[in-house]
Amino acid sequence: MKHRRYKNPVGVSKYTGLLLISPFITGFLIFTLYPFVCSFVIGMTDQHSMVVSKFVGFTNYRTILSSDDFRNAMGVTLKYAAILVPLKLAVSLFTAVLLNLEIRGIGFFRTSFYIPSILGANLSVAVMWQYLFTSNGLVNQFLELLGLSPVSWYGDPDAALYIIILLRLWEFGSTMIIFLAALRDIPRDIHDAAKVDGCGCIRSFFIITLPQIKGVIFVNLILQTISALQEFNAPYIITGGGPLKSTYTLGMLIYDEMFKYGETGYANAVSWILFAIIVSAVGLMYLITGRKERGKK
Amino acid sequence: MPILKKYDIIFIVSLYNRGDESVKKIYFLITAVFCTALLSACEKKKSETILNPDGKLDKCTLRFSWWGGDDRHKATLEAIELWNTIHPEIEIVPEYGGWDGWTEKVSSQISGGTEPDIMQINYDWLVTFSPDGNGFYDLNKLDSQLDFSSFDKEVLSFGKVNGKLNAVTVSVTGRGLFYNADVYRRIGAEFPRTWDELIALGDIFDRENLYPLDLDIQSGGTAWYLSIVYVQQTTGREFISMNGELGFTAEDIKSALDFYIEMENHGVIRNIQTRTDEDGNAALYQSPEFIGGNVAGVLEWGSSVGKYESVLLEGTLQAGPFLTSENGRSGGWMIKPSMLYAVSKHTKYPDEAAAFMDFMLNNKDCARILGTTRGIPASGFAEESLEQNGLLTGLSHECDSMLEKLDTVTISPYMELPRMKEFYNTAIEQVSYNLCDTKTAADEMHNSITKYLSRFKGENG
Amino acid sequence: MKKISVYLLMTIIAAIMLYPLLWLLGASFKSNSEIFSSVWFIPKSIDLRIWKNAWETVTPYTMGHYFLNTFIIIIPKTFFSVISSVLVAYGFSRFDFPLKRFFSALLVTGMLMPAIVKIMPLYLLWRNIGFLDTYIPLVFPSVLAEESMFVFILIRFFNSIPREFDEAARIDGCGTLATLFRVLLPCIKPAVVSIAVFTFLWTMNDFLNPLIFIQSVEKYPLSLSIRLSVDSTGQNYEQCKIIAVSVIGLIPSVAVFALAQKKFVSGITAGGLSG
Repeated sequence: MKHRRYKNPVGVSKYTGLLLISPFITGFLIFTLYPFVCSFVIGMTDQHSMVVSKFVGFTNYRTILSSDDFRNAMGVTLKYAAILVPLKLAVSLFTAVLLNLEIRGIGFFRTSFYIPSILGANLSVAVMWQYLFTSNGLVNQFLELLGLSPVSWYGDPDAALYIIILLRLWEFGSTMIIFLAALRDIPRDIHDAAKVDGCGCIRSFFIITLPQIKGVIFVNLILQTISALQEFNAPYIITGGGPLKSTYTLGMLIYDEMFKYGETGYANAVSWILFAIIVSAVGLMYLITGRKERGKK
Repeated sequence: MPILKKYDIIFIVSLYNRGDESVKKIYFLITAVFCTALLSACEKKKSETILNPDGKLDKCTLRFSWWGGDDRHKATLEAIELWNTIHPEIEIVPEYGGWDGWTEKVSSQISGGTEPDIMQINYDWLVTFSPDGNGFYDLNKLDSQLDFSSFDKEVLSFGKVNGKLNAVTVSVTGRGLFYNADVYRRIGAEFPRTWDELIALGDIFDRENLYPLDLDIQSGGTAWYLSIVYVQQTTGREFISMNGELGFTAEDIKSALDFYIEMENHGVIRNIQTRTDEDGNAALYQSPEFIGGNVAGVLEWGSSVGKYESVLLEGTLQAGPFLTSENGRSGGWMIKPSMLYAVSKHTKYPDEAAAFMDFMLNNKDCARILGTTRGIPASGFAEESLEQNGLLTGLSHECDSMLEKLDTVTISPYMELPRMKEFYNTAIEQVSYNLCDTKTAADEMHNSITKYLSRFKGENG
Repeated sequence: MKKISVYLLMTIIAAIMLYPLLWLLGASFKSNSEIFSSVWFIPKSIDLRIWKNAWETVTPYTMGHYFLNTFIIIIPKTFFSVISSVLVAYGFSRFDFPLKRFFSALLVTGMLMPAIVKIMPLYLLWRNIGFLDTYIPLVFPSVLAEESMFVFILIRFFNSIPREFDEAARIDGCGTLATLFRVLLPCIKPAVVSIAVFTFLWTMNDFLNPLIFIQSVEKYPLSLSIRLSVDSTGQNYEQCKIIAVSVIGLIPSVAVFALAQKKFVSGITAGGLSG
């Protein structure tokens, strides 16, 4: 380790890199590490409301792991992420490919596809969803038109999660942008060469485009997994976590415990468990993709 | 947080030792900045000294915060202007916003000791922010500036925690029943006077596929509210006492849940699944079912029924009688302060803050400007001023005067704690979805409430 | 034929995407009952006074004032955020240094923790340094590349540029920073534009941070002023006005996105890779 050589360009000190990332290191210490350590310490106390806290060690963690609410929320969160993330990646990649075509008026389409993401958790979104999914809503009217029986979207604990998933699916803008930026980097001549070789659109997508943007797919996969596992806003405005807590995610649980019930100690402990879940999910993804790449070599 | 400090310093020093000269300098700088930040973050203790009143009004600047909608903002800003002409030496800096997120804001301020000098507070904040009565300034010490003579003794006591007057009630409110008069007329039904009449209405409305009333399990939790009023009236027991004791037995809770289910079964209200399907997560005044008249009644605070009144497509909302039992018992209906004013315990100018609070509560010109933007004032002076100016009209006033004639129960601040609401709503949801019988749900609720209250008070007391 | 079907598909998607915005625009002229009982966006009547009132607000300031406040926050924030993220990503992507693996791990870790737990400790921190009720708590973190996600994205884009570019630049006599700004930055312009746009949009929408850190109404950014009149506990609830205010609040976001989206395209000619 001591005599390790750093592979930098000639004349570049091994500390140049450190210097460049020093804003990050400082920022990490102040805005990430400091609050996280605070939160870990608070998670070890029974602080709630205005009460001066006592140190209770891992008691909070034991309470959490045996709590039904937590287990339910964990199940909901995992199910939500497992369904949403692949769907969202597929949809945003598909639209990004469409938007990468050179056709007239593409600017208009690009802007309009992003608009739902700008709306975010706006009040109008909740109202729109009410029009779509209530028992006399547009979706049910459409289903009836097709001769299908209407679905109890909001009221059925098995269906409610899907209206949240649909909301987030509809807001695919930021994922799409990252894909779009990546698609721009693929040299056009590769596609042209493929065309000459008689590759169809779909084939050239799979054999040329996909491998080229592999890295960015991974970035989006990680980012989407992280944000899905931390989901809070969508169920908060659309279903309020119900019915029967079927859309009550861990993010909502933490928010409620922290701000609604004032259980600061408990909420911080739950955050650390969520942190652990996310770390393992992301770690797993790194492992799987890493192994694949090694396998190829 | 001493562990943190040590860790970070070791961490930074270890980096520092590896560097060459220029990098060393930069890291030295970063370390210095970081350590100063950290030290100041960890070591500055907020001062806990509570200043005593000095009996005179000094030149100063005070912060006053409230939440509300446009009319409240506008009226309050005008009232502050009036104050400035009377007391130009005491400048009031207003801080205001919508209800969304306001609790989060105030709770960060209170835990950081940076809350405004005078605050409009919500009822349950008394027990969350001041469980022992020491969370806010004790207003008894400020009675030279504050005139309580026109306040009802009981109303004044709403703001008392542990014998200390933490806050003064701005207005009192109670939940009343309001009906869509046109729908009732069309069906040929009278507003119910007794519980039995209410149940009977369900069957009548059912024939037209309508509902006479709506109850919810959202943040308001009217479903549980009406059920306990029923049980309180029949048994004469209080659900939760002012000091946070559970007055109901598991048996009582079961009767409340049974009553709720009876209402559902007779079609007085929609069951939870139907209601959620039809309205989503929206409040009733945003529900097409209510706007269009399919659901023709609501249980709501007199102080916030206005938005239901204005939203109806056709028909008018009218206040109905408070339900009584067949043998004429009318107790059990509840009242609470809709909001209170409190003074920060960290304030540097308690006298001045009290003087401003007195102005907001009692000054007749101020009351005229404020009107009913904070409900019907609890202060006798303010109410009189409104009366003279003909501002006491409307549903909210009607509900208020009907309540005054009843033998009401005061809602305990503990009953309004968000966690408690969660217990009620969970139980109602469980029985409505038929996941368990009322006995199991009642036992569970009794259990969780007892545990929670004893923990809440045990640790706070 | 193929082109027509692509157009058709994109128009359908665009309609689904745009409808809520149209509806919002229409709803800003509707009464409460009309808003919640009709999914059709065209209002029965148009009364521009609603917009005028919304613009004037009940506070002593107009919406213009809050726009200005927002831009005072957003412009430096976007600038610093781009600069710091690019520098950090460049460091990670192009240089070897002690503890590199460790720091890369930290970078990812920073994104994994639920952000909500940061609020209280940071509030106390800023209180102790005495910066509450200023814009510093909102802007300063961007100087220190607080948004690890941007760094994470940029690293991937830097990695896709062949090392030969750097070497060529070095041979031409470019130093470390000159290599970055003259050679590499133009190649990843689309990514830089997208993070600038993200910073802009997110800051525009950010509600909780300003809510906690800003006290004076005079200093409120747009996101706070929009919710100034939302009071579900009160007597009145004028939906149309709230919607009108939020439509006004959406204008800059939509405009910035519409303008910036062209830059995603320009990357193709400016980008050294495909050129």
